[in-house]
Amino acid sequence: MKAPLFLILLFLSVQVLAQQSISGQVTDRQGLPIIGANVYLVGTYDGATTDAKGKFSFSTSETGEQTLYVSFLSFEDYSLTTDVTKLKEIDIRLREDVNTLDAVMLTAGTFEAGEASRVTALKPLDVVTTANALGDFLGALQTLPGTSTVAEDGRLFVRGGRAEETQIFIDGMRVFAPYTPTTNNIPTRGRFSPFLFKGISFSTGGYSAEYGQALSAVLKLNSIDEPDQEKTEVSLMTVGVGVGNTQKWEKSSLSINTSYINLTPYLEALPDRNQWLSPIQSANGELVYRYKTNDTDLLKLYGAFSYTDLDVIQENINFEEGFRFANENRNLYVNGSYKSLLGQKWTLNTGLSLSHDNNQFQVGEDLISNSDHSAHLKIKLNKRLNNRLKFNVGGEYFITDFDERFQALETPAFDYGFQNNISAGFAEVDVFFSKQLALNVGARVGHYELLNQTEFSPRASMAYKSGKHSQFSLAYGRFFQHPNAEVLKFNSALQPEHATHFIANFQYVRKNQIFRVEAYHKSYDNLVKFDTELPIFGSNFSNLGFGEASGVDVFWRDNRSFKNLEYWASYSFLDTERDYRNFPEAAQPGFASTHNASLVTKYWIEDWNSQVGLSYVFASGRNYTNPNQPGFLNQKTKTFHNLSFNWAYLIDQQKILYFSVSNVLNTRNVFGYNYANQADANGVFQRQAIVPNDDQFLFVGFFWTISDDKTSNQLDNL
Amino acid sequence: MKTLAILIVTLFLSFSASAQLSYEKGMKKAFDLWDQNQIVEASNLFERIARAESDNWLPPYYAGYTLVLSAFEVKDEATLKLKLDKAEELLNQASSLSPNNPEIMLAKALGNTAYISFDGQKYGMNLSGKNQMIYQKAMQLAPDNPRVILAKAEWDMGSAKFFGQSIQPYCEDVQKALSLFETEEKSDIRFYPSWGKKRAQQILEEDCEN
Repeated sequence: MKAPLFLILLFLSVQVLAQQSISGQVTDRQGLPIIGANVYLVGTYDGATTDAKGKFSFSTSETGEQTLYVSFLSFEDYSLTTDVTKLKEIDIRLREDVNTLDAVMLTAGTFEAGEASRVTALKPLDVVTTANALGDFLGALQTLPGTSTVAEDGRLFVRGGRAEETQIFIDGMRVFAPYTPTTNNIPTRGRFSPFLFKGISFSTGGYSAEYGQALSAVLKLNSIDEPDQEKTEVSLMTVGVGVGNTQKWEKSSLSINTSYINLTPYLEALPDRNQWLSPIQSANGELVYRYKTNDTDLLKLYGAFSYTDLDVIQENINFEEGFRFANENRNLYVNGSYKSLLGQKWTLNTGLSLSHDNNQFQVGEDLISNSDHSAHLKIKLNKRLNNRLKFNVGGEYFITDFDERFQALETPAFDYGFQNNISAGFAEVDVFFSKQLALNVGARVGHYELLNQTEFSPRASMAYKSGKHSQFSLAYGRFFQHPNAEVLKFNSALQPEHATHFIANFQYVRKNQIFRVEAYHKSYDNLVKFDTELPIFGSNFSNLGFGEASGVDVFWRDNRSFKNLEYWASYSFLDTERDYRNFPEAAQPGFASTHNASLVTKYWIEDWNSQVGLSYVFASGRNYTNPNQPGFLNQKTKTFHNLSFNWAYLIDQQKILYFSVSNVLNTRNVFGYNYANQADANGVFQRQAIVPNDDQFLFVGFFWTISDDKTSNQLDNL
Repeated sequence: MKTLAILIVTLFLSFSASAQLSYEKGMKKAFDLWDQNQIVEASNLFERIARAESDNWLPPYYAGYTLVLSAFEVKDEATLKLKLDKAEELLNQASSLSPNNPEIMLAKALGNTAYISFDGQKYGMNLSGKNQMIYQKAMQLAPDNPRVILAKAEWDMGSAKFFGQSIQPYCEDVQKALSLFETEEKSDIRFYPSWGKKRAQQILEEDCEN
C-alpha cells in the first residue's frame, strides 16, 4: 500500500519536471530576422540563441506564469509574462535602440574632439600636435572650417562674427576672460591648459537652447572626471618652464599645473620688430579637484590663476617715437560643478563660476585700470522619459560688475562702469522617432535687469540618417547677446544684439574618415553703432546696426588611406557684410576673408621614433580702407599663407623632444595697413603695413613624465 | 507519517541536487559551445546562468569575458561599443560579487585593449593609462598568478614594440608565467579561470625565439 503511493508521488514529481517546449521567431520592425538574440525564461537557465532565421526553440520544466525575456545588442530588451504553455510559435518584434553609435545624431554645426564623442573631428592628440597650433587648442580649432584666420589676433572668429561672439564654457559654466592678454599683432592664446580636458565640443552655429549670450559659436570644454594615474610632468621650453602633478585617492583626485613663461631669452636670441621694455612674462597655476560623492555623483572644482605683464613700444606711423603699450593683468577663475543622478532617470547638473579680471594698462600716455567681476550660476535638470524622449530644463544667472578708471596725462582721473545682471531659463526636448530621425526643439527666455527687457529665442534642429554612414541635418535658432564692456561702460542703455542662424548639413562618417559639408545663412540685427572712431563718452550710440553672413564649410579627414599618415583639410567660403560700429555703410569687415583653407598632416616615422607634421593655412585678402581713394573698406590685402612644421622625437618612453617652426617659407604676410592721420606735402596719406611681430616662430621643448608605470608620456600633450 | 517525512526529505534532496546539477550542466554546456567556436551561444548561456545565479561571480565573469573576446572580431564601432558596454556591465556584476579579484580585473583590461586595438588614436590616450593601473593593482594582489604575469607582460611587450625597445625583459616574464602555469594548483572552485598556458607558449615561440 505504501509503495504504490510513493511511486505515484514520484511519478507526479516527474510529471512536474516534464518538459514544455517554447519556440518562436525574433525579427526587427521590418520583419528581418535577428540572429544571435538571447531568449530565455527569467530566473532559469532555460533559453536559446536565435539562429540564422531568427528562430529559437527550447524546452523548460517550468510551469505556470513565466517571463520570457529577449535581449540583443542594438535593440531594446523585450519581455512577455504569460503562461508557459502559450509560449509557442510566438512572433517577437524588437524595437531598435536609438542610443547606439550608429543612430542618428543631433549635431548640425558641431565639431567634437575627444574620446567621449561619437564623431571625432579632432582626436585628443590633435589638439596639441597640430604644427601651427603651438600647443594651444584654440590654434588647433582654427584649422576647422567656419573659422577665419586672423593671425594677428589669435581668437576664434566664426562665420563672419567678431571674436566676442564666441563664448567658452568649462563643464557647462561660462569662462569670462578666456584669452591671455597681449598687444597688437601678437596672437593671444587660450588661458587653459589642454591637458586638463577630456573633451572639446565646438559648435559653429545652431546650438541648443542651453547656451545663450553667444551670437556665433560656443566652445565647450569638459574637464577630466578621473585621471588615469598619479604622475609628475616637467616641461622645459625655449619660452619657459612648466610643472604638473596629479594625485589620486580612493574617491578623489587632484591635478595641479603650473607654468612660467618669459620671452626675454627668446627675444635676446631672435629679436622681433618691437622695442620691448619688458617682454611678456606670465605665471599660471591651475588646479582641478574631483570628488566622487558616490558611484554616480561627482563634484568638480576648477581654479585658475594667472598673472601677465608686458611693456612694449611698437612702431606707429602716427608716432615718430613709436607707441607705448603696457599691461599688467591678474585673472582668477573658479568653477565648481556638481552632477548627480537623482533616480527615476532624473539628472541634476549645477554649477557656479566666478571670475575676477584686473588690468592696468598704459596706452600711450594714458593710464587705464579696470576690473571685471563676473559670475555665472546654473542649474539644469535632465529627464529621460524613455529611450526616445528626453527633456532638459534649467535656469541661469549672469552677474557682471565692471569698473574702470581713466587718467590722461596731467588731468584728473575719472571713474565709470556698469553693473549688469541677466537671468535666463531654457527648456528643450529631444525626440527620437526612430534610429533614422530625430528632432530637438527648445526655447530660451532671457531677462536683462539693466533694461528691464525680456527676449525669447526659439531653437530647433533635426537630423535624418540617410544611410549607414550618411546623415542630413537642419538647424535654426535665434540668438541674443548683450554688448560687452567696450561699449556698455559708456552707455548702459544699449540693447542685446540679435542673430538668426539657418543651417543645412550633410555628413558622411566611417571608420577613420569624415566628410562634412555645411551651408548656412546668418542674419544680424540690433548691432551696436556709434559715430566716433572708437567708443568714447559722448559717442552717439544706437542699436541700428545689421548684417548678414552666408557660406559653405567643407571638412575632410582621412586616417585610413595611407599608412602612418593622417591628414585633414578644411575649406570655408564666406560672403558677409555688416553695418556696425562706425561703418558709414554695410561692408565686409576687415577681419573676414572670403576664402579660408587649411591642410594639416601628421606622419609617424617608426624607425626614427618620430612624428612629423606639416600644416598649411591659406586665407584670401582682407579689406582695408585706403584714404587716398574714395570709398570705405575699398581695398584688399594680398593673400595669407603659412606653412608650419613640427617634429616630436621620443627619446624614450617618458622623454620627448619637440621642435616646431612656423612660416617655414618665410612668407611676408600683411594683415592690413595703418594710414597716417595727416596727408603729407603731396596730399598723400602714407601708410604702414600691419605685419606679424615675427615672421617665424621657433619652439623647442623637452617634456619629461615621471610616473610609476614608466611608460606614459606627454606625447599626448604636444 | 514516517514515510511521508522520508518522501519529503528525498524530494527536497533531489530538487537541490538537481539545481546543483543544472549549474554544473549549464556551465559545462557553455564551455562545450565555446570549444565548438559558438562564442555567441556560449556567451548567451553564461549570461542566462548569470541572471539566474545572483551570488556566483563566475557566470557573469565568463559572460563578460566571452563578449570581450568576441569584440576583437568586430569591424564597426557601434557594435564594438554595445558589446563592450554589456561586457563591462557583466564584469561589474562579477566584481561586486568578488571585489579585488585579479581574474575579473584582467578581463576588464582586455576590454580596454579591444577598444585600443580598434582605434588606438581615439582610445589609446585614456585607456592605456587605465590598463597600466589595472595591471599594477593585479600584480600587487596576486604576484604569483601566472595569468596576471602573462597579461601584464603581453601588454608591456606591445608598448615596447611600439617604441622600438627590446622586448627581452618581458619574454622573461612570460617564461616565468609559463613555469608558474606548470605548477599552478587546480582551484577548488569549479570552473575557476585556468587559461593562459597555450598563449604563453605561443608568445615564446613566435615573439621571443631570437
